[in-house]
Amino acid sequence: MKSRSLKPLTPSLKERSNHDSDKGRNMSQSPQKENEYETSPPHDTLAPVKDMVRACIQCGTCTGSCPNAFAMDMTPRKLWRMVLLDRKDEIFQSRTFTLCSACYYCTLRCPRGLPLTEAMGKLKQIAARENLKAHKKSIRFYKSFLDSVRRHGRVHEMEFMTLYFLSMKDPFMPLKFTSLGMKLMGKRKVSIEIPSREPNSLEAIFRKVEEMEERI
Amino acid sequence: MKKKIGKALVVGAGISGIRSALDLAEIGYGVTLIDRSPHLGGILSQLDYQFPTDRCGMCKMLPLVDRDVSSQYCLRKGLFHENIEILLSTELSSVEGEPGHFHVRLRQKSNWVDPDLCVGCGACAQVCPVEVADTFNAGLTSRKAIYLPVPHAIPNPYIIDMSACTRCGACEAVCPTGAIRLSEQERKKFRILVVDDELIVRDSLKAWFDDEAGFTVDTSESGPDALDKLAERSYQLMLLDIKMPGMDGVQVLQKAKELSPDLQVLMMTAYATVETAVEAMKIGAIDYLIKPFDTETLIPRVLRVYEEIEVSKGREIEVGSLVFCGGTSYFDPAVGKNPFGYKELPGVVTSLEFERILSGSGPSQGKLVRPNDGKPIKKVAWIQCVGSRDLQTNSDFCSNICCMHSIKEALVAKEKSGGDLETAIFYMDMRTFGKSYQRYREEAERSHGVRFERGRVHSIILDKPADETGGDLKLSYTDSSGTVHEEHFDMTVLAVGQRPSIGAEESAKALDIPLNPWGYWETEPFSMTRSRRDGIVLGGAYSGLKDISESVIQASSAALSASRVIHSSGGGLAPETKIVPENADLLRERPKILVTLCTCDDAFSKFIKGQELVSRLERDPAVNAIEFVERTCTATGWESIAGLAEKHRPNRVLIGACLPYVYARKIGELSRKSGINPSLMDVVDIRSSLFPMLGPEEEADSKQCAAMAESTLLAGLAKLKRANPSPAPGVRIHQRALVVGGGIAGMTAALAIADHGFEVDLIEKENQLGGNLSWLKSTLSGHSTHDLLNDTVTKIEKHPLIQVHLDSKVVTSFGQVGHFLTTTQDKDGQPESFEHGVVILATGGEEAATSSFNHGKNEAIITQKELEQGLEHNSIDTEKMESIVMIQCVDSRMEPRNYCSRVCCSSALKHALALKEKNANVAIYIFYRDMMSYGFMETYFTKARKAGIIFIQYNVNEAPEVVIPDNAERNGKAVQVHGYDPILGRKVEIDADLLVLSTGIVPNLPSGLAASFGASIDQDGFFAEADTKWRPVDSMKEGVFACGLAHSPRSIEETIATAEAAAQRSLRILSQEYLSSGKVVASVRHSLCSLCERCIEVCPYEARSLDRDLEKILVNPVMCQGCGSCAAICPNSASVLEGFHEEQIFETIDALLEGTI
Repeated sequence: MKSRSLKPLTPSLKERSNHDSDKGRNMSQSPQKENEYETSPPHDTLAPVKDMVRACIQCGTCTGSCPNAFAMDMTPRKLWRMVLLDRKDEIFQSRTFTLCSACYYCTLRCPRGLPLTEAMGKLKQIAARENLKAHKKSIRFYKSFLDSVRRHGRVHEMEFMTLYFLSMKDPFMPLKFTSLGMKLMGKRKVSIEIPSREPNSLEAIFRKVEEMEERI
Repeated sequence: MKKKIGKALVVGAGISGIRSALDLAEIGYGVTLIDRSPHLGGILSQLDYQFPTDRCGMCKMLPLVDRDVSSQYCLRKGLFHENIEILLSTELSSVEGEPGHFHVRLRQKSNWVDPDLCVGCGACAQVCPVEVADTFNAGLTSRKAIYLPVPHAIPNPYIIDMSACTRCGACEAVCPTGAIRLSEQERKKFRILVVDDELIVRDSLKAWFDDEAGFTVDTSESGPDALDKLAERSYQLMLLDIKMPGMDGVQVLQKAKELSPDLQVLMMTAYATVETAVEAMKIGAIDYLIKPFDTETLIPRVLRVYEEIEVSKGREIEVGSLVFCGGTSYFDPAVGKNPFGYKELPGVVTSLEFERILSGSGPSQGKLVRPNDGKPIKKVAWIQCVGSRDLQTNSDFCSNICCMHSIKEALVAKEKSGGDLETAIFYMDMRTFGKSYQRYREEAERSHGVRFERGRVHSIILDKPADETGGDLKLSYTDSSGTVHEEHFDMTVLAVGQRPSIGAEESAKALDIPLNPWGYWETEPFSMTRSRRDGIVLGGAYSGLKDISESVIQASSAALSASRVIHSSGGGLAPETKIVPENADLLRERPKILVTLCTCDDAFSKFIKGQELVSRLERDPAVNAIEFVERTCTATGWESIAGLAEKHRPNRVLIGACLPYVYARKIGELSRKSGINPSLMDVVDIRSSLFPMLGPEEEADSKQCAAMAESTLLAGLAKLKRANPSPAPGVRIHQRALVVGGGIAGMTAALAIADHGFEVDLIEKENQLGGNLSWLKSTLSGHSTHDLLNDTVTKIEKHPLIQVHLDSKVVTSFGQVGHFLTTTQDKDGQPESFEHGVVILATGGEEAATSSFNHGKNEAIITQKELEQGLEHNSIDTEKMESIVMIQCVDSRMEPRNYCSRVCCSSALKHALALKEKNANVAIYIFYRDMMSYGFMETYFTKARKAGIIFIQYNVNEAPEVVIPDNAERNGKAVQVHGYDPILGRKVEIDADLLVLSTGIVPNLPSGLAASFGASIDQDGFFAEADTKWRPVDSMKEGVFACGLAHSPRSIEETIATAEAAAQRSLRILSQEYLSSGKVVASVRHSLCSLCERCIEVCPYEARSLDRDLEKILVNPVMCQGCGSCAAICPNSASVLEGFHEEQIFETIDALLEGTI
């Protein structure tokens, strides 16, 4: 059977709100608010991710393995469950996939051999492509980082952070980073000098990647 | 089949092989039982405890009728049956011919120690300088290069592990009997010709094989020279280079093979010419070696050739059928990614290693301590599904046994520790799908405090650096709510999965038998035992993963399939048995006893003054002659006893030797030669009395030892004097079977018996045959059950020996094994009577009815059976459906029906996949407790997940609720299911068009019906077996068997296996007109009997009954197992046990105590 042809499963399955049903269970979910996205992802957005995790048996190996699980608002296991149940709203509201540091522990140990790190990456890509408001910060952070790398062949911290602050259009944001910036400058980890543009920069690689991404 | 016919070969002497061999031997076939390993028992030799009894009990498989054909002895130690020939260290080398007439070549490897000469003194192992890991203790202890493969086998000769042996010769020098044959002379006779153009290769190979390994090596620098040498003299092995100037290796090989076809050739090649070497193998080279050589692989390879061609004993036999019981091997967690640190962390062991730690013969004599540092174990974790249900290790299957054996290990460990042990089992689904297993699990959890954690541990690390703590372990895992825990354990047991047996692939290739995707031998549809090739059948775990009781059932089923082939092809290869002349008047003759004493290679005479003993024995007037025999255990020793019997013409023989149990077969032979009744010959153990002196305590009191030997002999004399030579009693067998139930189980059993030439009456209460097959459509694997039903019914109807009685019910039955009289009634109330020798209860079962989850209140709420029928008749239209919910374990796996019905998970998967195939848009939700997709069914579980079916786990106290909404809220959906998803941590509501309930199976075996045949039922209404593991289809009352759903819930092919097993057990009785019991049976002295009937109550085998007309207690000798309970309870000594008469026992005791009082 072609799995892509599956209709989303949501219509027939509803979840009750947390408040009346929890009975003191260990719940890491925050109550959801509706319509926080700039654009809601179209229906089949999740299909490639779903294909990757279909055989999941919810054993929890991924969650137990994940070094960043403590910081995630939703465990990886729950995230995959959400993917299979088509809970796009909650998936893209969660920070879980953005916190994946691609250490590949879960992929290494998953008894179903699922490409979980790739699936996390796919979710990041979807969030970036759809420019989801909930992930504005991390999308712009990544973008500013790469812009700097693209220009110089390496990251230039000062420029990177400036690009980031500009893109966030938040005048108070730099203040939050002031103390960290000072510390780094004191240790000469951040320099103000703008390095010259390398003639043989990474431009070709970036173009190729863009080309490939468009094809997806 | 009225007399001994046919011969079978059973390959593999593990539990299944033993069962198959015994089954075939009991119906009279000659059986050759071979095993590649040097011991009997397979994996069972390493396991001390089996669930659900947590004990052994293997001896319950021994023959129950005609018991004297086999020694009644611990089956784990040895098997001694008249019709079974056992060849250990033996492999199959080729099979030719056709079903019924196979010509088989066997190859028996030498173990370098002559088993006939080895007396097991152990002097060799004491001097052996080599220490290697002991496979018996799963590598947890070490052993010498000369060793005992298992400590408890009988007989138990030492063997040499040639891969470890350095051939220092120390053992050869100390062996008191000259049993060890490492001899240099032997090796010198093995001639190797090395052909290579390079001098350095020639020289170094000569140095390795001539000087070091002790063979004779000649060298040649070119092909023509080599051929000249080959023409001059014969060589056994040629090492041949491929690339040589002039004539290359392949040309030399061709010519050499023409010159001497028996010459073995190993090609030597550089990496670049490997392809040529492979070509060379096609024209007769046995293998190739890649240069540059590595002595560690080269020398063992040549040694193997030496062993194979020089030391192995070839043997050819003719058999009618082959039964493969090759068993299974286990996943090695050290290979691959090894996330659990096996072999790296000392506290991580496999389940087999843990069994050894629990064992009294294990590394710590059964004490629960960690092998590396001896730390007492206080907390143990089990990790399930290691190498099972794991796509990363290519195992998309469930290994079936691990859940249960982990629970058992936890319970046994708790018992050993005196309760001072914490245990936790980490699992994904706890698969307790066998009969009584669910209660066993709950008992473990509730009463013994075994902790069950649903969750997979991803890896194990050391708690602290090893040098501080010795290796305590830290495990982290996610609980079902998603919280990550870290926990410390002293030890972690990896429940490793099963893998195909070593060599299964090669044998399958050689015999042209297909393998399934996991490397196991494939069987025919609906059969667990028949392979594609007629006459080649599989038993036990060779065809897939299974536990002991299933292995035993399948081994019997395999024996049946084999027997069918032998029977249908006419048989006729069996050894003839001569009738022993009975001498009934012997009791009146004065006993003339010949006593032979084994000198046991001087061990005996060294310590005991023979003359004193002889003069004491001579004082007994019953003693006719006393003779010393050298090594009774050897063939020559035994022949000399036969000669002595000829010379002295005694009427009784007492043999003083060792290991009395080994001699059953030899006594039979001696009896045929000498004409002395075997019950008037006895072997007593006089060697054990010498043990204190053979051991380290040299100063043991030799007087005391002599006294022990003497009293043993005197006791033997006393017993022999009173021995009764009259033949063992027996019963006449009415050679006709009754099968109750005309479903697939009953039909299969009836056909199996009728195909062996016996008449069968098949009783069915409905007006047609078929049972549950009449509504089933297909199986999960896609085989049509319609075809199976039609084929089977046609065969039944055409069979001249089967009488089908439809619309009939059993009213009463009385009688015992050999002769039952059963009355049935047809639909008009007309009675009919049947006489039969055995009965098979195949009354079946059905889907349980339910009113749970609002079943019956709405037509959208149906059962799996109703769904199957609805799909078949198109009365359920799933095309327009959007959402379907299934709920598993409805009213099952909870009291009062606290058992798993085995088939519901597979039905749910089958239907869910079929529904998805019809309509890919339908959403299917399955609420389950533990998915019981055991064995290869796991693949379909994976398939279902991939198809997008959503599985929601629920706990029994959080079962989903079903609401039938009011019309207003209906939303177009008929039912609403409210459940809890533990992964989301939320309640879920599902609007469904259809709700399907898996209600499980209830048996259809009324207690009155079972009782009328003397069988009993268990608390759930299923047939109660005599023993769940070892006698799985027998009832405690002999002659009554059960199969199919009346026995336990099972799939169609499993049902067929039980039916064939039940038929096999019946044939063991039906195949003889007169069935002899064992010699040791009870009888009643009616003049002393007061008819108090206490013996009837106490008899566990229901062998006794009161005949009110005769006013006598009657004993059915075939049912009596000689346990002696009746003799012990009888207040008047009216009940007596043959061989244990009071006079005999008292005299024996007197003899034993002589001199001490």
